[in-house]
Amino acid sequence: MQCKIVPSVCSYCGTGCGILFEVIDGKINSTLPLKTHPVNEGKLCIKGWNLHEHVNSFMRLKKPLVKTSGRFITTEWDEAIGLTADRFSEIIQKYGPDSVGVLVSAKLTNEENYLAQKFARAVIGTNNVDHCARL
Amino acid sequence: MNTKVKHWLEDETIDIFLGYKIVDGHPLPHCFTKERIEELEDLIVGQARYSLEKIATHITTVNPDIKIGMLARDCNQRALNVLFIWNQLNPENIETININCCPSNLKEHGDCSYLEPETAGVYKKQVGVDNNLQPEDVEKHDQPQRLTRWMYEFQKCIKCYGCRNICPVCFCTECSLEHKELVDPGTLPPEIPIFHLVRAVHMAGRCIDCGLCEDACPVDIPLRLLYRKVNEIVVNVFDYQTGASAQQSPFNILGDTVTLEPKPLESVETQN
Ligand code: SF4
Ligand code: SF4
Ligand code: SF4
Ligand code: SF4
Repeated sequence: MQCKIVPSVCSYCGTGCGILFEVIDGKINSTLPLKTHPVNEGKLCIKGWNLHEHVNSFMRLKKPLVKTSGRFITTEWDEAIGLTADRFSEIIQKYGPDSVGVLVSAKLTNEENYLAQKFARAVIGTNNVDHCARL
Repeated sequence: MNTKVKHWLEDETIDIFLGYKIVDGHPLPHCFTKERIEELEDLIVGQARYSLEKIATHITTVNPDIKIGMLARDCNQRALNVLFIWNQLNPENIETININCCPSNLKEHGDCSYLEPETAGVYKKQVGVDNNLQPEDVEKHDQPQRLTRWMYEFQKCIKCYGCRNICPVCFCTECSLEHKELVDPGTLPPEIPIFHLVRAVHMAGRCIDCGLCEDACPVDIPLRLLYRKVNEIVVNVFDYQTGASAQQSPFNILGDTVTLEPKPLESVETQN
């Protein structure tokens, strides 16, 4: 029998509410608001309250899928990333770097968003960086 | 406190102990075990109050025979009584270490109805509503005024279900608040006042006035006041103080005896 209370940050929106996961025998059983968190002071919206459901959902993708001949086939990360890099290189070579755009998200951390724009500018070579909130 | 818990864990009076510990600067509920007994040095009472008994019910669902020890403020004790009555926890499997309310030296600073507080608990940040509003305070106003105010409060609701989720005595597997015949789904605010009144009715003989729901409500609806009113009626009609003991509740229909027995009529106050 193992029970852990794990502090974390809600990944659903940019507010970044503090949460606690109640983990019983390795499974996230429920989500609670972190009462002493300066952002949400013990309150959550309905999405935050149900974070554990999306972690536990049977529909959650745990492995990358690659569309091959019209069907999604499960694969490994190395292969999926390799394939994506190859296709990006082809597209950039043919149409130029500005044919690619990078969309970041409030669901990422600041640091991840920073990395994403760095990737767009330094690796792909484009200033086409935007945010999902403007979609 | 720490020595007692240590003994309990070592002699297997309990398998786990629910208390608090500082993690990353936050006082968080923590589950202490025999395997990591050295952690007991960090056991604290905790300035932030969580429903440890709710965590205990979740653990019990997964592991019905586990023996759980926990820190218990007055509200935790009352909630445990209600959970025993409603067969959510077995009193034989629960040990408590009773501690002062909302950590203060003086019980008068506690924050719940059984303690007749003068001011809000020192550690409780007061935002929006006055957490100590009593039904008498608002009954000074006339009825239409009260109705308008309540409807104003209810329409702020963002239907986060936080009040239900955080409540130690809300444990139903199928909650009426998610029943589409009662509360029309897909609208915000939820159907008012029915959403709040359904919950209020369910809190009769069940709410132990811990105030966690009001703390968790993002829009500061004075929920506790509402449930205080409901339980004032319960006291008047059934002479039953919710959570004061683990004696069978007049609302509990399980068991051998029918207990839905009102107080003798002459003593029922006909005030409303
Ligand atoms: S709980 Fe709601 S408001 Fe808070 S970060 Fe999550 S989605 Fe955003
Ligand atoms: S005060 Fe609120 S959270 Fe506490 S028992 Fe009553 S309804 Fe539940
Ligand atoms: S609101 Fe009513 S139905 Fe829902 S969990 Fe609480 S007591 Fe049960
Ligand atoms: S906590 Fe407040 S906002 Fe959330 S459902 Fe309850 S009453 Fe509505």
